[in-house]
Amino acid sequence: MENNLDQIHQQALNELEGAESIREIEDISIRYLGRKGVLTRFLRNISHLPADQRPMAGKKANELKKILDQAFRQASEKHQTQDAAGEQGIDVSLPGRCVTCGAMHPISLINEQICGIFSGLGFDIAEGREVESDYYNFEALNFPKDHPARDMQDTFFISDDTVLRTHTSPQQIRTMEKQAPPVRIILPGKVYRCDSDLTHTPMFHQVEGLLVDENISFGDLKGILTTFVHQMFDEQTSLRFRPSFFPFTEPSAEVDILCIMCRGRGCRVCSHTGWLEILGSGMVHPALYENVGYDAERYTGFAFGIGVERIAMLKYGIDDIRRFFENDMRFLAQF
Amino acid sequence: MKVSLSWLEDYVDIKMDPAQLADALTMAGLEVEAVADRYGYLQSVLVGRIEAVDSHPNADKLKVCRVHIPNGQLTVVCGAPNVKAGMLAPLALAGTVLPDGSVLEKSVIRGQASEAMLCSDVELGLGTDPGGIMELEESLTPGDRLADALGLYDTVFELDLTPNRPDCLSVIGIAREIAAIQKTPLRYPDFSLEDKDNRIGKLASVTIEAPDHCPRYAARLVDAVKVKSSPFWLQDRLLSVGLRPINNIVDITNFVLMETGQPLHAFDFDRLAENRIVVRTARSGEKFFTLDQKERTLDADMLMICDGQKPVAVGGVMGGLNSEIETGTSRVLIESAYFSPVSIRKTSKKLGVSTEASHRFERGVDPEGTIRAVNRAARLTAELAGGTLVEGLIDEYPKPFKPAQVSVSVQRTRQLLGIELDPGHIKNLLESIEFEVDNIIADGDDHRLEVTAPTFRVDISIPEDLMEEVARLAGYNNIPITFPAMPAEARPPSRQLEVRRRLRQLMTGFGFSEVITYSFVHRLSSERLGLAATDPRRSQIPIVNPLAEDQAVMRTSLIPGLLETMRYNLTRQVKTLKIFEVGKIFIPRANQALPQEPEVLAVLWTGMRYEASWHGAQIPCDFFDIKGVAEGLLGALKIGGLRFTRMDDDACDYTRAGYCAWIMAGDSTVGRVGEIHPRIRDNFELKQSAYIFELELPHLIPLIPAAVSFKPIPKFPAIYRDITIIVDRAVEAQSILEAVKNMGETLVETVHLFAVFEGDPVAAGKKSISFRLTYRSGAKTLVDDDVNQLHKLITAKLLQAFNAGLPE
Repeated sequence: MENNLDQIHQQALNELEGAESIREIEDISIRYLGRKGVLTRFLRNISHLPADQRPMAGKKANELKKILDQAFRQASEKHQTQDAAGEQGIDVSLPGRCVTCGAMHPISLINEQICGIFSGLGFDIAEGREVESDYYNFEALNFPKDHPARDMQDTFFISDDTVLRTHTSPQQIRTMEKQAPPVRIILPGKVYRCDSDLTHTPMFHQVEGLLVDENISFGDLKGILTTFVHQMFDEQTSLRFRPSFFPFTEPSAEVDILCIMCRGRGCRVCSHTGWLEILGSGMVHPALYENVGYDAERYTGFAFGIGVERIAMLKYGIDDIRRFFENDMRFLAQF
Repeated sequence: MKVSLSWLEDYVDIKMDPAQLADALTMAGLEVEAVADRYGYLQSVLVGRIEAVDSHPNADKLKVCRVHIPNGQLTVVCGAPNVKAGMLAPLALAGTVLPDGSVLEKSVIRGQASEAMLCSDVELGLGTDPGGIMELEESLTPGDRLADALGLYDTVFELDLTPNRPDCLSVIGIAREIAAIQKTPLRYPDFSLEDKDNRIGKLASVTIEAPDHCPRYAARLVDAVKVKSSPFWLQDRLLSVGLRPINNIVDITNFVLMETGQPLHAFDFDRLAENRIVVRTARSGEKFFTLDQKERTLDADMLMICDGQKPVAVGGVMGGLNSEIETGTSRVLIESAYFSPVSIRKTSKKLGVSTEASHRFERGVDPEGTIRAVNRAARLTAELAGGTLVEGLIDEYPKPFKPAQVSVSVQRTRQLLGIELDPGHIKNLLESIEFEVDNIIADGDDHRLEVTAPTFRVDISIPEDLMEEVARLAGYNNIPITFPAMPAEARPPSRQLEVRRRLRQLMTGFGFSEVITYSFVHRLSSERLGLAATDPRRSQIPIVNPLAEDQAVMRTSLIPGLLETMRYNLTRQVKTLKIFEVGKIFIPRANQALPQEPEVLAVLWTGMRYEASWHGAQIPCDFFDIKGVAEGLLGALKIGGLRFTRMDDDACDYTRAGYCAWIMAGDSTVGRVGEIHPRIRDNFELKQSAYIFELELPHLIPLIPAAVSFKPIPKFPAIYRDITIIVDRAVEAQSILEAVKNMGETLVETVHLFAVFEGDPVAAGKKSISFRLTYRSGAKTLVDDDVNQLHKLITAKLLQAFNAGLPE
């Protein structure tokens, strides 16, 4: 009986010795350990042995099964390594089956980045309509009818009282009408002005911001916008605030950043001034509080407006704003 | 607004160099857009010594001169009578751009080459003597630049002024700001004019019939003037700010306009009927010839300056031909008025005329500046045109102006600006620009300043206006940076915003690129899209003043924009395009001024399914490619009950009948998918198939589950059974799958279609459909016996329901 098992053991090892591939090892394994394998048959036949020999034979046979199983596995692993070393394999330099992502529009990317920065600073995002009444687009924002300030924004008219919004500011009024202070919102969206050249398209994108609360100062406006510029560009980008005029803010400020191309030395991009105008801002004009029923004695606040195309052009080095709306794939695919 | 350094220096000593000055003005809120060397055009004009003068072989009046320059000699043909050997004269080299805009080039004059030009002072914008070339002092060095030799240095600043600062639309206004910046004094010219009697009252009169339009009208009369060219200094001043000299009378009014910001008008007094001025509104339909020789039709809102019988000027906008100053004019009536800004703006807009005068009046001139300006102009007219001033001043002032008085809290100023300022400091800043601080009143911890604004500052009315002046003069950049207290609360972004972001991410993940097209499209675009006449998308909102024909109406669909984008790219050899856009469409609403603005996702695929590669042949994309994207997208959004139903042929408009479907979720239609109709493709001049799908966000968003709730993973294995049945070709696969689901068998977990076959051995007009059922129980491991019976039942039901057969 034991001899028989030893014989099986020896024979199996001999065969394994001669095996030249994993396939052969698998075959041997099946021949010995498979359902109809030599060792399996032996185990099945144990019942024919005399009763006193059965436990020992069973134990030995099971031991052998383990030993062989391990031997086969080792041999198989060894072959696997050898096969890999010897085989030619495939031409891994051939291109893979193509999986390509599409590209988000650069305006969407920059818009998301701007919104992300202000969300991080605690601003909510509000959106509004694009066809607006004259009241919300102008009058409530302290642009009286027949005032030269209206010339600052070349307006597309739908009718005498309806316009394509020239800025996202109408939503400032709509939000304040619905919500008591504090208000901390940014207003991304499309805006329209009838102008078209290298730096103007009749449709473009803005992100405006509005913060109204108690004790908000011009210093706070500077703080928030400085943080924005540092995150959008880098910490080395210095800013300057200079007096300007917008009907809905008083005081008003244009914000320039040190030219990111030449760092202030003067180049084509900054028209040799060293500075780039990137946004308009100011302290909310009390007339707006009156129009929405806020207590102008108690609350102060600031507003700002950022041109998304302007930032995108600077960030990506795009020199013609019209590229954004031609939708040439060779342009879009770069982002 | 252009202003020259030399003119500014008449009123203020300037301590800064031009670059510093430009920067300082910009930082004070007067943005300097450009700084130019006034004499830049003289770069290539040298002091030339005329070595020899010979007669021209082919022309009696011309001479051929040899002119010495540092690197040699140039031959110049010259016709000036005063040219002679040995003299020094300005020599303009080829390439010089003269003030009249002409460019000098080397030329051949009557067969004789001329390499440069000897210039008169008129040609160089340096004088008024056209009689010959400019004779330069013997002491100058030949070859030097003329500007250096004559000490001609001036800088011209171009300012982009904001509409709130009409006071700076004048040289004195800008000088005043410079004086405040430098803390140096401002010198005003002498505006006073003492009258010994009021003789003008006997000769002329002014009647204001429209005081709302014209609150003030002043005039002076100058007798016996001689209309001729202005002296050079006056012409030079005007040229330095880009104005063209005309004659002494007109030049004086322009000079005073630029100097003080007060527009003036000079009438030929003898052409004014009855020698009087009537200020009234026009009669509707009245016709009038303005100075630019155009006939204008007037309306009843327009302010007219009239004589005793007829209009002679459109008030504050433009004078009339019928009272223009002419060479023979001898008596001049000078008008200096304050017109209502709104009135002037309306008239200027309606007539489509903007002038130096209307630009200032509509922004607001100094109501108290009228007299100063008319005095200055009258005095200059008497001096420069040889006239005699008629004693007396007409000053009709029916609506006297009240200067703005504003009280401002120091505390509030500090709080709004975020800068420490004491009352004295604020007072000093305001006084530097001629504000009067009448009182400083202690008010508890606070102080209030009572301030009277100067009359030229028409923009000042509330305390915040003063705070801005304070901030501006203290310097915005001296205000320390602070941060507002921001509580740790934030509203979650709106659902719409969230969904839009998700759509962008998914679509780009699926390999589609985002495009942004204009919200306005061609007037014919909905017609080109084949929309039915009754379709609400046919009524597009027109823009009153579009920039271009193809941007004339607001879009009611994103598809035209995508098709235009496709065409744009196809013509640039990009033949495979996978694009999408998320944006609003604009649908007018009955009885409402503002349209509905639903947001739409539109997706287009044209060209090949995969990029060209070694893995296999290129296959064009088809309906099922785009449908798969729609399914993938809606699946990712977890939209339940998704179905695609065949569109009625007459609803197909821009999609091809039989190749398009409504996208349904339960009972709601959320969009459509299909192939662009070949006829529509032709309308957009496209030569290859395109597949699209569209989703309307307002319909889609409510269907997206707000939260995902986890279902336990099945504990027990499933049993799979396949069925193949043969049905009529017209039977929709979806109906068979739904029939199985609708049987409501709880053990049926999923039904998955895996093969559709038409053709031999399947009979004509039929198709075989194969699908796999997954059976699973939540309570135990199923065995064959559990499902065999059920599977037979389901098969039998299907055979009956669809009049189907089994394969042979």
